[in-house]
Amino acid sequence: MAVTQSSTFRFSRHFTDVLSHGYILLMCVVFVMPFLAIFQYSLWKGATLSLDGILGNYQFVFGSFLTNLQNSLMVTVTAITISFLISLPAAYAIVRYTFPGKRLVLSFLSISLYVPAVTLGLGLILLYNFGHLFIGSIWSVVFAMVVGTYPLMLTPLIVALKDLPPSFEEAAYCLGASRWQVLTRIVLPLIGQGIAAGVLLSFIIVFNEYLVTLFVVGTIPSLQTAPLRIFGLIRTAGLLNTTAALAAAMQIVSFVVVIAFFRIVGTRYLKGTYLI
Amino acid sequence: MSRVRLVNISKSFGNAVAVNDVNLDIAEGEFVTLLGPSGCGKTTTLRMIAGLVEPSAGEIYFDDQLVNPLPPNRRNIGFVFQTHSLFPHMTVADNIAFGLSVKGEDKKKIQARVEEMLALVDLQGYEKRMPAQLSGGQQQRVALARVLATNPRVLLFDEPLSALDRNLRDTLKYNIRDLQRKTRKTAIYVTHDQSEAFAISDRIFVMNQGHVEQVGTQLDIYLRPQTQFVAEFIGANNALSGQVVSTGETVGGRDVWIRVQDQRLRARDDVGLRNGDRVLAYVRPENIRVLEDGAGANFLNTVEGTIETIIFEGSTVHFDARVGESVLRVELAGTERLTVLNREGARVRLGFNEVTLIKI
Amino acid sequence: MVKLMAERETTVTPFQIGEVVETGARAPALLKTRLPVLLLLAPALAVTLVFLVAPVLFLLFISFTAGRSFLQAVPTFTLTNYTSIFTDYLENLRVSLGLALLATLVNLVFGFPFAYILIRKVQYRDIVRAFMIFPMFGALYIAFGMRFLLLSNGMFGPLIKALNSIGIQIPIYGLHSVIFAMAIFTFPFMVMNIGAALSNIDPKLEEAAACLGAKRWQTFVRVLLPLAMPGILAGVLMCFGWNIGAFAEPVFLGGVAEQRAIAWTMYQRGIINFDFGLASAMGIVLMIIAFAVTYFSLRFSRGALAD
Repeated sequence: MAVTQSSTFRFSRHFTDVLSHGYILLMCVVFVMPFLAIFQYSLWKGATLSLDGILGNYQFVFGSFLTNLQNSLMVTVTAITISFLISLPAAYAIVRYTFPGKRLVLSFLSISLYVPAVTLGLGLILLYNFGHLFIGSIWSVVFAMVVGTYPLMLTPLIVALKDLPPSFEEAAYCLGASRWQVLTRIVLPLIGQGIAAGVLLSFIIVFNEYLVTLFVVGTIPSLQTAPLRIFGLIRTAGLLNTTAALAAAMQIVSFVVVIAFFRIVGTRYLKGTYLI
Repeated sequence: MSRVRLVNISKSFGNAVAVNDVNLDIAEGEFVTLLGPSGCGKTTTLRMIAGLVEPSAGEIYFDDQLVNPLPPNRRNIGFVFQTHSLFPHMTVADNIAFGLSVKGEDKKKIQARVEEMLALVDLQGYEKRMPAQLSGGQQQRVALARVLATNPRVLLFDEPLSALDRNLRDTLKYNIRDLQRKTRKTAIYVTHDQSEAFAISDRIFVMNQGHVEQVGTQLDIYLRPQTQFVAEFIGANNALSGQVVSTGETVGGRDVWIRVQDQRLRARDDVGLRNGDRVLAYVRPENIRVLEDGAGANFLNTVEGTIETIIFEGSTVHFDARVGESVLRVELAGTERLTVLNREGARVRLGFNEVTLIKI
Repeated sequence: MVKLMAERETTVTPFQIGEVVETGARAPALLKTRLPVLLLLAPALAVTLVFLVAPVLFLLFISFTAGRSFLQAVPTFTLTNYTSIFTDYLENLRVSLGLALLATLVNLVFGFPFAYILIRKVQYRDIVRAFMIFPMFGALYIAFGMRFLLLSNGMFGPLIKALNSIGIQIPIYGLHSVIFAMAIFTFPFMVMNIGAALSNIDPKLEEAAACLGAKRWQTFVRVLLPLAMPGILAGVLMCFGWNIGAFAEPVFLGGVAEQRAIAWTMYQRGIINFDFGLASAMGIVLMIIAFAVTYFSLRFSRGALAD
């Protein structure tokens, strides 16, 4: 190997460095371009930027789209809660107990992530109608979301519980705590990060979901969530500033939630869930 | 303050037998140790006493109460773990208070008790610290305070010092012992460390492969091991295999003569041996003396051997002596120890009296 | 009483097993361990069975009936749904597979260097991750945004006008837009998989190769690439699996050809035309393809991802 570096070598090193950084930068711009385009258009009235436009568009969001936003919020909060309530006991069983077929159970509980949205959507609407279940109710969407996203809550919970030495629970037992007290005073606080990770992942998906929702309540305007409304508007009315404002608002909220999570909680429990 | 009895306790995990027909009787206020190598079943036994593991068979009594159907949180016990037991999200005070707060005790009473416990373990002023800020030794002291706060009737220790440094272990084990004496609680301690067991126990249960090999005081199991395992596990020992060739009565009791290879050894017989019995004769290294020329009349047994490796350890010297086909480890202390230095390869005469016999 | 994990003891020699106290409490004890487990798993299992397994089985059933006949007392059973997928709608299937393949290829070509640079060269990974979050919000926004991007009075207005003036037209709708949007959406998945595989490769291996005299590209081809292959394959398969179900991109950005994507066709035939038999068959076929692809991707990623 050369003892001294030639200047051409150094130049080419710098060149590749610049190229590398530039490439990353370029891709980052590409990632964010669609959002920026939507955002830009949301500030316009018609085809030009105007203050009137900004205020008008976003006012519209909280006016005409209010029901949609309410639906979105309700569905997101309820779905995440139900996901948590069904995932926590399952995670506990998987981590703390031995039983035959554990791998099979875990695979079974993760299947929904790999079922295409259109298949799930069609199956659910047909089943709902055939079985007279949740007809005309927002719960049809809630449970569709739950079944599609609870694995994203399950995985971080499993990771968090695995990281929790059983001796904490055992110590609490021996000190006289009841099972409920052990759960609420020891287990839940100590797996808080895992819970937060599950909430985050579920939130990102459920808050912005439109496809399964399309199949399930596509024909009922009063039950439509915000992303579904966006979808419908693009199809019917094309490129409206107000639609853009709604889309921009949804993405901004989602982004803020994610960043807040990373700041507060960190990234440990997102391993293996493809968000990290 | 409870007497603890285990009657015919067994535990199997599938086909693996972890604990096999164990019987323990521990008196009120007694400090006993379950001593044995890894995998001998001592921890499983302890956890069954706590209620963390359900026995496959047998009964456990605290005083006269059958505790088998009771879960751990109803047995009023104190369990000190090896590690990872202080709740990391609570302060020292909250940790110590936990047992009382889950019972809904009055806040003032809890606070007073926490102070009392901190004083007991000499950690006054540490109320607001978090466990992560404490050293290993301090954590275990808080763990002690925490279990004592609920005034349990039995204290259970699962190798509480194994995760700590050597010197810390030494001071802390006496702390545990002192606290136990002060509070007069029945204590059951699990460890694989002999010196720990010897330093603090009233009685020791030596366990191996799921059963109890021998029960006794330190003197009992050291000077009078009753099984091969105990003889070899406790302290260092030379094992010589041989056969009884004759027996006889003496003033002190019965003696037997054993043929070991081409030597004849004489030993006290406490077990009732007969001619022809195969035995293991155990001689402790510290009981073997190096004999100067002519001396040796006051030893029951004398053998000749060649000194092999000599190791100077400071306060002791030990060497291996090849006697016939066997190798005897000898340990010397005091001024005598210096006399063998630099005598590798030399032939020496060795004398010893105490021989323990285990029939095989 | 909670059954907790106890210390694992060593197995015993045969002669001791005979001395084991055989517990007559064996049967109830078994139930005692199993019952809490069942109760804990029940909610999740129930939700999955009712809202996932049942709908899919229902679809499977309907896929063998004609049109809406499953609603009748005696449905008309037929295999034509499936056969027509591979005849009349073969083009649609091909379109979806083709789109997915192309998009995945784009992901691979652009994603591998991206992952490599990210893992090996760059310190500001967290910021980049923040940017990568945007595509994950959904293909809907990406497709929507792309329409704006290609407007001549949009963000790239000047650029587009400039290109137009020298005769280059970039239509909004068409294969290029669809592929671009699909690629953006699944890009993070490709990067995650390759990145995980790369970060598991000890840099010392490359150093060792260099010390043995290998040139940069030799180390790359003969050391790095083989070791990263599981992650690459996992990424490819994962992206492909996601992309075959592409819906918003073909709808909003596609020309006539792209709009034949099978997910969209499924919607049209099912929800709009009420041909449930056919739509169900399409759903089943799509699901089988997705499962097969994901199964293989997980097989590879098990090796690539650190647990």
